[in-house]
Amino acid sequence: MRTARLMLYLLMSIVLMAMDQRGQYVPRIRSAMETAIEPVFHLIGLPARALRAISDYSRSYTELAAENRSLKQSRLSQSAEFQQMQALRQENRRLRALLNATAGRSFDFRFAEMVQVNLDPFSHKVMIDRGSRDGVFVGQAVLDGSGVMGQVEDVHMHMSGVLLISDPGHALPVQIARTGLRTVAYGTGETVQLLLPTVPQQADVRRGDLLITSGLGDRFPPGFPVAEIESIDRDTGGTFAEVRARPLAALGRGREVLLVVQKTDHPEPAAEPGQPPDATASSASASELETDS
Amino acid sequence: MSRHQERYSTLVLMLIVALLLTMLPFTDAASPFRPYWVGLVLVYWTLEVREMVSLGMAFVVGIVLDTLSGSLMGMHALSLVIMIYLVQRFRARLRFFPPWQQALSILALLVNDRIIQLWIYTLLGEPIPTWQYWLAPLVGMAIWPWLFLLLDRIRAGRRRQKT
Repeated sequence: MRTARLMLYLLMSIVLMAMDQRGQYVPRIRSAMETAIEPVFHLIGLPARALRAISDYSRSYTELAAENRSLKQSRLSQSAEFQQMQALRQENRRLRALLNATAGRSFDFRFAEMVQVNLDPFSHKVMIDRGSRDGVFVGQAVLDGSGVMGQVEDVHMHMSGVLLISDPGHALPVQIARTGLRTVAYGTGETVQLLLPTVPQQADVRRGDLLITSGLGDRFPPGFPVAEIESIDRDTGGTFAEVRARPLAALGRGREVLLVVQKTDHPEPAAEPGQPPDATASSASASELETDS
Repeated sequence: MSRHQERYSTLVLMLIVALLLTMLPFTDAASPFRPYWVGLVLVYWTLEVREMVSLGMAFVVGIVLDTLSGSLMGMHALSLVIMIYLVQRFRARLRFFPPWQQALSILALLVNDRIIQLWIYTLLGEPIPTWQYWLAPLVGMAIWPWLFLLLDRIRAGRRRQKT
C-alpha cells in the first residue's frame, strides 16, 4: 500500500519535472505561483536590506569623503569619454546617412537591484526588484556594470526573474570584437564559463579576445561585452574548435543591474503578458538560424 | 481533537521557519554549508509523530520548496517523498538508535538524497558539482542531535500550553 503511494508520488514528480523542463504549462503555473508569493521574497530579502542600510548609515565621514572623491574623479574621466562619444555618434549618424543605412539604435538603461534571496544555485536565476509595473517585459536584456548577465524570464508585479547566461539551456549570439566573427555562446552551468562550440578550426581566435553581443536574435542589443576568451582547444578532431570563455559580468553575485530599453523600436516598453515565457527557446532557435547561414 | 489541531500548527510553524532558513541569503562562502532544513524537520516529525507526516504532505512541501527556491518543479518533491518513505520504512529501528547512530543514519539519508538530486542535475546537463556539494549532508549530521533536542523542546512546550 505504502509502496504504491510512493510509486504514485514518484511518478507525479517525474512528470512534473519533465513538464517543467520541456512543456509550457508548468512554467506558466509556476510563474503565476511566484507572483502570488512575491511578498515572501520581499520578506526574505528584508534582513539583507536592513543590514546594508545599517552599514551604510554607520560608515564614517572620512570613508564617505574618500569614496566621493574617487567617484568624482571617475565621473570626470567618464564624462570626457562621453564627450568624445557624442562627437563619434554625430559622425556615425552622418556617415550612415551618406550610406543610406538605417539609423543605429540607441538604448536607455533602467536601474534595478537584485532581491537578496537564496535560490537554488542550479536554477541559474536571480530575482530583481522591478516588475510589470515598471515596464519590464519577458526577454528584456539584463546587464551589469561589466557585461551581459542574462534576460528576463518571468515578470511579476514588483519583481522579475532573470535567467543567467550560464544556464545550460541558454544560447547567446555573440561576435568576436577583434575580427567580427559571429558565433554562439552557450551556458555550461558554471558561472565562470561559457562554451563556444561552433568556432571553425581555422578561425582567427586568440586568448583574451573580447566577445560582444552580435544583436542577432533580436533579444540582446548589439555591441555589449559578454566574455573574454579563456582557452582554445583545436585538437578536437572535428570541424570546430572547442573555445571557452569567461563571462565578464558577476553572474549572480552582483547587486545592481541594468535593464536595457530600446529607444527606437520600443518607445514605450509595453509589458507583454501574452508573450510565450520560454525566452530561452526562442533565443536558441534564433541562434541556430544564425549558425546555419 | 483540539490537541491534534495544536500540534499541526507547530509542524506548520517549524516548516515555515525551515523554509525561511533555506531562503535567507548568506555570504556565498557559507552557502554550501546550508543543511537541508526542510528535510530535517520532516524527518523529525516522521520519527516522533508518525501519523502526521504522509507522503502526500512531503510531496506538497517539496512543491512549495521548489516554487520558492526556483529549482526544477518536482525535484524537491521527489527528494522529500523518497526521504520520508525511507524514514517511515525504518522508523522502528531509527527511533531506538542512540543519538550518534541516528545522526549517522541521517547522514546516509542526506547523502542518498544528494545523489538523487545529482542525478537530476546531470540529466539537465549541469556540470558535476564540486566537492563542496557534499558538505551539506555532513552539516546536517552534525546538527541533527541538537536540532532533535530543540524541536522536541519546542513541541513539548507548545503541547503543554494547550492542555
